[in-house]
Amino acid sequence: MAELNIVEKVIALESVELLQNLTPDQLARIASIAREVKFLKDKVIIEPNQPPEALYVILDGSVKISRNGDELYVAHQHEVLGSWALFDPEPLAITARTREDTRLLRISREDFYDLLADNSEITASIFSTLVKRFRQLVEK
Amino acid sequence: MFDIREGEYLRLFFMALYLVTVLFAYYILKPVSRAMFLAKFDIDNLPGLYILIAGVGGFLAYLFTKAAIKTSLKAAVTASFAVAVTCLVAIWWLLGFGFPWMLYVFSVFVSIFSITLVSQGWLVAANVFTTREAKRLYGLLGVGAVAGAAFGGTFTSWTVYYIGSRNLLLASAAMTALAYLAFLGVVRQSGQALVRARGAAEEEGFEFKDILLSIGRYRHLQVIISIIALTYIVDVMIEYQFNAIAKEAFADVRRLTAFLASFYGIWLNLVTFVLQFFLTAFVVSHFGVGGTLQIMPLTIGLASLATFVTPNVASTGSARITESATRYSFNRTGMELLYLPLPTDLKNRTKAFVDIFFDRLSRGVGGVVLLVLTVYMNLEVRHLSLVVIGFTLVWIVLSIRAKNEYVSTVRRRLETRRLDLESLRINVRDRDTVRLLEQAIASGAPRQITYGLSLLAQAPGYPLEKALASLADHSSPEVRAAVFGLARERNFDGLLDRALAELRSSRPGADPAAIRPAVEYALAVSPEAPALAARLLDHPHHLVAQSALEALAQYPETLRQIITPDWIGEAAASPDAGRRTVAAAAIRVHGDKDTGALHKLLLDRDPGVAEAACRTAAALEYRTYIEGLLRRLEDADVRRCAIEALAQYGERIVGTLADVLLDDTMPLAVRRQIPRVLQRIQTQRSAEVLLASLDVQDLTVRTAVLKALNKLRDSHPQLNYGRDSVLRQFHKEARYYYELHAALASLRTNGNGTAARLLVRTLQARLEAALERLFRLLGLRYPPKEIYAAYLAVHRRRSEEFTAALEFLDTILERELKRVLLPLLDEDSRVVQVGRELFGVDSKDVPAALRDLMRSGDSWLAACSVATAAELRLRDLSAEISELSRGSGQEVGEVARAAIAVLS
Repeated sequence: MAELNIVEKVIALESVELLQNLTPDQLARIASIAREVKFLKDKVIIEPNQPPEALYVILDGSVKISRNGDELYVAHQHEVLGSWALFDPEPLAITARTREDTRLLRISREDFYDLLADNSEITASIFSTLVKRFRQLVEK
Repeated sequence: MFDIREGEYLRLFFMALYLVTVLFAYYILKPVSRAMFLAKFDIDNLPGLYILIAGVGGFLAYLFTKAAIKTSLKAAVTASFAVAVTCLVAIWWLLGFGFPWMLYVFSVFVSIFSITLVSQGWLVAANVFTTREAKRLYGLLGVGAVAGAAFGGTFTSWTVYYIGSRNLLLASAAMTALAYLAFLGVVRQSGQALVRARGAAEEEGFEFKDILLSIGRYRHLQVIISIIALTYIVDVMIEYQFNAIAKEAFADVRRLTAFLASFYGIWLNLVTFVLQFFLTAFVVSHFGVGGTLQIMPLTIGLASLATFVTPNVASTGSARITESATRYSFNRTGMELLYLPLPTDLKNRTKAFVDIFFDRLSRGVGGVVLLVLTVYMNLEVRHLSLVVIGFTLVWIVLSIRAKNEYVSTVRRRLETRRLDLESLRINVRDRDTVRLLEQAIASGAPRQITYGLSLLAQAPGYPLEKALASLADHSSPEVRAAVFGLARERNFDGLLDRALAELRSSRPGADPAAIRPAVEYALAVSPEAPALAARLLDHPHHLVAQSALEALAQYPETLRQIITPDWIGEAAASPDAGRRTVAAAAIRVHGDKDTGALHKLLLDRDPGVAEAACRTAAALEYRTYIEGLLRRLEDADVRRCAIEALAQYGERIVGTLADVLLDDTMPLAVRRQIPRVLQRIQTQRSAEVLLASLDVQDLTVRTAVLKALNKLRDSHPQLNYGRDSVLRQFHKEARYYYELHAALASLRTNGNGTAARLLVRTLQARLEAALERLFRLLGLRYPPKEIYAAYLAVHRRRSEEFTAALEFLDTILERELKRVLLPLLDEDSRVVQVGRELFGVDSKDVPAALRDLMRSGDSWLAACSVATAAELRLRDLSAEISELSRGSGQEVGEVARAAIAVLS
């Protein structure tokens, strides 16, 4: 399967909740640092007790999320793994393992921070999303 | 004694004349109105008058303030004078008929006279003098006001025997008219300042519910409000006693008028003046808030005791002088201190509540209390003294309570560092506050210590050195930093050994807060500063070396001997980034002609080194560094310093910056920052370069240009912002808007796929950005703040705001701009229609719209359009897509090649 072009990457990134307030142009800038990665079946994407280094968007395939061997959830196409990892370097207590051959879009935290440093309006939009999310949590 | 400067004499003369004459007029009216009332009516009518003045007078004063806020100060003062003179003549005439009710009207009028013309005098002064001038000149104006009152009182006490009480109203009217002439002199001297000023100071708004809730919540506020209530109730009772005794003592209205005039105009004013100017500061610094607040009830209590023992003019007069003089001096200052620890907005709201409502309510309550005591309970004057003494006892208890509340509130706010530093600095001589601050620095908490030290340093004559010595070894670097900083300010050399020990023990990686202050202090007090600086320059901790380098700027000869080209070369090549930073800073001593080191350091991988190099380049201003500085504009970590450094070169590099800004081959990340540099250069030439770049192709650069122009106009409105180029660009942007809108209209109804939806979102975002640019352009032609407010209203689309914004734009925009802009804010169908009429932009079918977008030169729009064409299987567009796959950038090319694969 051919590599994703920038428009396809942006369409994939539109499903990330954290990025939902960004304009297509801003998403395109994030897409430019997003790399397509492929994992064969039964490979670990996120390990427990390891600091997560990237956010992943599933392009095709599926990923099993488990804790201490217990399956919690199965993520499918356009779902996101480790979206808060971009801001929180604390290790996650879960394992993410492919159930089949899986293609993902990977945004590394380091590249993301470099991008934010140059694009303050993206930072502002993401902050706005975080604040809204926080407010919803408080109001619940 | 008074520092009056050139250009201030005439303004000061007319302003002082205004106050002298207004106070003169007022101190005629005050004794006359009261004497005529007392001569005509029984003393039992006085409580009713107090209630009337509190109610009707308060209401009329409130109406006056509300009306005055809406008009200019000049108009308000003119109207006030016209009404005052007319009323005085009318009252004089009507009093001639002997209507008893006219005396009530007269008394209410006098209370309003004080609120309007006297208060307005100080408002005029506040607008005539700047804050700095006011600090120097208000003392003199205060003397003028006291003199006016004394002259008025003296004049009244003499002339009443010749012309009678009633005719003095005409003298007051004449003085009021003279005061207006003085005001016209003030207007002439102060130009536009008074025309722009409002007719009354806008009071802080307050809601009764909020204030009541706050009073319920803050014990501190409960005490304040209780003291204020007692102050006004006691004021009314003391005045009643004084008037009652005066009425008995002076049966003849002329003698009574003369007595009251001398009493109020001369004695009361003089005593208040002496207490305020010579004793208040002393009392506050020696007795603190609590003591200051207790003086008033204590002295009133003693004076009332005298009244009880021997009720005569001397005792009641003493009580009246005591009450009034201590209220305007000690009590006012004490209350100001009491308000101090409250949060600023609560303090302002409470003050507004007291000024607008509560003082009148309290006086009205005082009238009611008097009515009950005198009319219904038939208490005599001397027995009223016992009631007053009772009130003063409660008052003293409240003052003690107030002091405790003050101390605990200050302590709480000190702990959270939320005390209003500026206000406290003025009053830090207060003994209680000083004691609290001493407790704070003994607390051991670094934040409190540094805060307490900074405040104590402001206390006049406070021996801070002992505290500094005891804290120089504190475990917190923050505290040590404050100690060395304050010791340097005070030139206290007793901590030199400690500072050197601080530097000896400093290691890279440890908290550096105390290093710079320690270096600065050591070099400031050391008898061998140059030699010490030379040693510190080779210190392994770069911050020590850097601080020493900065301090050595005072010794240029020594600096030149130490900082040799070899020294710089060695330091610049060091693997230690801190050492390279020092090298970058040191280059400014000789320049780097011999080493060329700064070019390398400007491109250093370490941001700290690069920043120091930028600062040195800015100090040296060699053109040869410009290229290096421009390259650092791409780096977010160093960008700010690079921008500042380039701006430092000033106008002579504006041409170079223009070349970079307009050069399509330069990196966008660099071009985007050039407007920020130009905005800081702030000359007509930089404005012209920005205006000439308004139509650059890249939208991010164009927006940066507009933002820079908006900021430049905000800070330098006097520059010329080229009407024609702004209008030309406005039409281009509007046309772009209409074209995008037409494309969006066709795509919105014909594309449901993911790529089409992305294209629609992109177009919507582009339209929003274009609208912002249109408003930014308007901000270069019309008042920027108002245009920004209109933009926000249009952007938010809240019904009322939006309508108001449309009306505003419809009113101020010239016809040509209005014709283009207002339809953009209308319904979609109208936008399409106007686009056709004004710019010939027709609706298009989807392939035609996509074709135009692919050719627009906007790479992201082109990429989305290509993806949409592929999604919609529009093979008619294959030629355009093939062209893009070959000739455009990498990302659009990839999208185009993927589209060709789908379409083939």
